[in-house]
Amino acid sequence: MRLRHSFVYNLIIFVFAQLVWLAVLLLWIYWYVTNNIIFEQVGEELSPQIVVDAPSVAPFVVGIVMLTGLSFILVLFFRHLSIQIRLTKLYDNFIANITHELKSPLSSIQLYLETLRTRDVPPDKSKEFYDLMIRDSARLQNLINSILEISALEGKQNRNHFTIHRVNEIFPKLIRDSVEQFRLPENSLDVKVTGDCEVFIDVISFKMVFDNLVDNAIKYSTGNLKIEVNINCNQKKLIVDFKDNAIGITGKEQKKVFQKFYRIYDKDIPNVKGTGLGLYWAREIIKTHKGKISVHSDGKGKGTTFRIEMPVVKKELIPLQRKGKINE
Amino acid sequence: MNELSTEANKILLVEDEETMALGLEYNLSEEGYEVDWVKDGKAALEHFDEQNYDLIILDIMLPYYDGFEIAEIVRRKNPQMPILMLTARTGFDDKVRGLELGADDYLTKPFHLKELLLRVKGMLKRKSWYSEAVTNQPAYKFGDNEINFENLKCKNEKGRFQLTNYEAMIMKYLIENKGKVVSRKELLENVWNLNPEVETRTVDNFIVRLRKRFEKDPSNPVYIVSVRSAGYMFQVQD
Repeated sequence: MRLRHSFVYNLIIFVFAQLVWLAVLLLWIYWYVTNNIIFEQVGEELSPQIVVDAPSVAPFVVGIVMLTGLSFILVLFFRHLSIQIRLTKLYDNFIANITHELKSPLSSIQLYLETLRTRDVPPDKSKEFYDLMIRDSARLQNLINSILEISALEGKQNRNHFTIHRVNEIFPKLIRDSVEQFRLPENSLDVKVTGDCEVFIDVISFKMVFDNLVDNAIKYSTGNLKIEVNINCNQKKLIVDFKDNAIGITGKEQKKVFQKFYRIYDKDIPNVKGTGLGLYWAREIIKTHKGKISVHSDGKGKGTTFRIEMPVVKKELIPLQRKGKINE
Repeated sequence: MNELSTEANKILLVEDEETMALGLEYNLSEEGYEVDWVKDGKAALEHFDEQNYDLIILDIMLPYYDGFEIAEIVRRKNPQMPILMLTARTGFDDKVRGLELGADDYLTKPFHLKELLLRVKGMLKRKSWYSEAVTNQPAYKFGDNEINFENLKCKNEKGRFQLTNYEAMIMKYLIENKGKVVSRKELLENVWNLNPEVETRTVDNFIVRLRKRFEKDPSNPVYIVSVRSAGYMFQVQD
């Protein structure tokens, strides 16, 4: 609310500044023209010695240039201010979301600990509570690790964890692990691999990419979720198409989903929880693998396809990479 | 912990975090409450329309309808339904918004189990007292004022208006003790159930609001009068 107000106030100030600028410009022209006329009419009568060969336009032009420059600076200032306000708003949303994501599992753990301390909980129930606490601890750990990963990703992490893997072995495994982790039924996933190639990847980071894609598909799905993954390899590159039948993404939002802290709002599924970092991480991770990720959706209600494109390891380089000689 | 008979009390728990909901459901059931757990705002409103509940425990960040929207809808349909907001959102604005939209209490996560259970018990106790008091005397008239304690609709010389839950409970308590001095502490104990976040000043603020609603000249009250160093007294000249 405060931010929206501050944006409106800035807009009002900007419009007001432009009006002032326009008024000053008009006054300047008016002053110059009237003074020039007076000078021409009166100057000759009062002091015929002063001879004006031609009216000097230099002060007039300099004045206009300075005023125009002022207006240009105002426009630039306002533009930067708008960007800053938008970023602050996104950051505030992120803080609110991350606070929620951290506090929820922490509260559950506290609730179970207090329950176990104050009540005589039967052994089977106790075991269930311990399992739930472990699940929440894992959730906290994942979240904290993910936040800590940002700095590594943004600092273009070193590639010590990169190793060569066969695509038809590692990718289906990573995707299945993600689907299992989110407790989706087995039949909700269909993975097809065409061709065979090897990639030079950091497996842990890549698991995060698929975790985020699966998590998004779950969060933005309204019915029975179906995920289809097509993995295509050729001599030059690897293409992974990750397709879901969730709510889809409008054209306007497709450009923004990889931005840091950006979150989609859909009135059919409001209040989806998250940090706005998942797809940003995915893009940054894939960038460190010299690949790219893009999104396509035919519109609302028509599902979404994320495409990951990556270079493959050329056969002649494999022995060198296995020896770790081209890690950078 | 289980001191009060809670056999008939039915609670609607609206919480989308499964682990939290399971823990709450277990503890509330152990206290003798009957608990219905729903995961989203849509299901919460459906359950509320279909069944009778004594209290709603409401998270804010929920799918479909958030806790604020649910509180507003519930309050419109049933002005007396006790609503406890239980949320990870700790911002002052969120809290004020929740209470303004009709929540009776607001507890932030992480919370202490004992505190939650005490608050639930207090809210149910107040509801029970209020329901009983309303059955005995559903409406009350004094001067040009008229209060319907069932739907909280009121009338004064200027027109009609709606009381909030707390305003109605304070009025009910003062009217029940007509002619007697009621201390701030007594009001805190009986209306707010000594909620540690409520200060004595809050009572005074509510009295100011009630005087604006029912007194012709709020600065010189004739119905809700202050008794120096003691509290407040409701009086009607017969």
